[in-house]
Amino acid sequence: MTKLNYSCLFLLFFVGLSHSLGAASEKSIVDEIKNAEDRFDNRSVPLVEQVVDEAVLAKEEYQGGSFRVLARKAKIERYKCSSCHTDKPVTAQQGALLTHGDIILEHGSEDQGLSCIDCHHPQDRDYLEDKKGRKIDFDHSYQLCGQCHFRQKRDWLGGAHGKRVVNWAGERTVYNCTTCHNPHSPRFEKRFPATYSVELD
Amino acid sequence: MSSKKIKNKEIRAASLLEKKSTRRNFLKGLSIAAAAGSAALTTGCIPAADAASTEELKLRWQEFFKKNYRLMTQEEKDATVARLERLSKLNANLDVQMGSYPPLDGVLYGYAFNITRCEGFMECVTACVKENNLDRKTNTQYIRIFEMEPGQLDPSTGDGQYYHEVPVDNKFYMGTQCFHCEKAPCTKACPTKATWKEPDGIVVVDYDWCIGCRYCQAACPYYGRRFNWGKPEIPKEEVTRRQHYLGNRIRPMGKMEKCTFCIQRTRKGRLPACVEACPTGARVFGNLLDPESEIRYVLKHKKVFRMKEELGTDPKFWYFID
Repeated sequence: MTKLNYSCLFLLFFVGLSHSLGAASEKSIVDEIKNAEDRFDNRSVPLVEQVVDEAVLAKEEYQGGSFRVLARKAKIERYKCSSCHTDKPVTAQQGALLTHGDIILEHGSEDQGLSCIDCHHPQDRDYLEDKKGRKIDFDHSYQLCGQCHFRQKRDWLGGAHGKRVVNWAGERTVYNCTTCHNPHSPRFEKRFPATYSVELD
Repeated sequence: MSSKKIKNKEIRAASLLEKKSTRRNFLKGLSIAAAAGSAALTTGCIPAADAASTEELKLRWQEFFKKNYRLMTQEEKDATVARLERLSKLNANLDVQMGSYPPLDGVLYGYAFNITRCEGFMECVTACVKENNLDRKTNTQYIRIFEMEPGQLDPSTGDGQYYHEVPVDNKFYMGTQCFHCEKAPCTKACPTKATWKEPDGIVVVDYDWCIGCRYCQAACPYYGRRFNWGKPEIPKEEVTRRQHYLGNRIRPMGKMEKCTFCIQRTRKGRLPACVEACPTGARVFGNLLDPESEIRYVLKHKKVFRMKEELGTDPKFWYFID
């Protein structure tokens, strides 16, 4: 009986010892990551794929400094807006087509939706305007969107919202708000998934 | 027997003894001789005897006697890559560009998945299938997306086979793939050391050393590994030509395969195919050792968790919420 007790104690001792040793050597990768503070030169990585879409230098700072965003103006079919919107009244030949009848505005809450001039500059149609009256370029629409969606903008600047273009290395180029979201109805539409999965073997 | 003849024999024996010979070299020499000369010897051996040309036969013999990728010198890697490119041309008339480029210094890859943003469109899955030359016949996929009930965080409670309009209200979507564990259980299970963790954190498989025993599949707690039950079938025009030896080259039958963080892309600074395809920006990829990378921002500022963290596998794949 005593023999058994002794062996039990022995066993307990060893289990305890190995456990404490194990816990001490159990270093997580998270600690290693936290301690990695040296700057990594992203431009040292030789790239095979370049960003082909037009991008402009952002007017705000990312945690590591400057970065680029995809340009928007080139994607707006009838930019410049001032080619129609002059001081004179607009006379449109094909009214339905040219008076933005195709735009469905579903932005903001249901009872208090946004109107055109909540974002567009009322006089200078080549620009946007925020609630402080600042003129904002179409390429830098994040400055406008961020006045309401400040959380998303903060995440976007850091890299937790939105995405980079093509490369993880090299100069940081990110998608603009309007690259993914239609500014007039920003929520993604429901649709069928691109594929389906079969059961695993 | 004259004394001259005896002397000759002695010299020959001495030279044979002096010459360094390993078992591998011996077999290699034997194999090349066999390939060149005796067709009878080749029948019943691993490479099929109906190989079209002697060139193909020779290449396959040399392939059969190559080393484990980790033991190869750069010259040997280049040689096997050249052979595989040529074999692909001979067998399938495919011009592939295969590489064996090494890991980048100061880089450790990590991945984050935003479960608030994913809407289940599964475009990542199709991009992955195409990029990694996955078998279309059995519908092999590295990525799985689960439709989850709110409050649940274990994908086994979710629906992995949904097919209806997404996103469904009051559901969320969670993707899984190989998590590239720092202490990967699959690498410990492999009896032939055909799978290991590269210095940049990517867990890879040497498809030519894999014997297809599937121990790693059993060892993986995340269902991250896939097995080739047959010869992969891919429409010729859809084959991704830019390949890596450890990555998306077309696997032979009976081999284990898995997500490699698109090693053929990421080692060239490019994003993995799933990240590039994601329409909602739910996927974040980058260098964990770079304090200014997006992935580090997510780890620092967001609420993150890892799947089955209590197992101590230390995966380099985090889930986060906005």
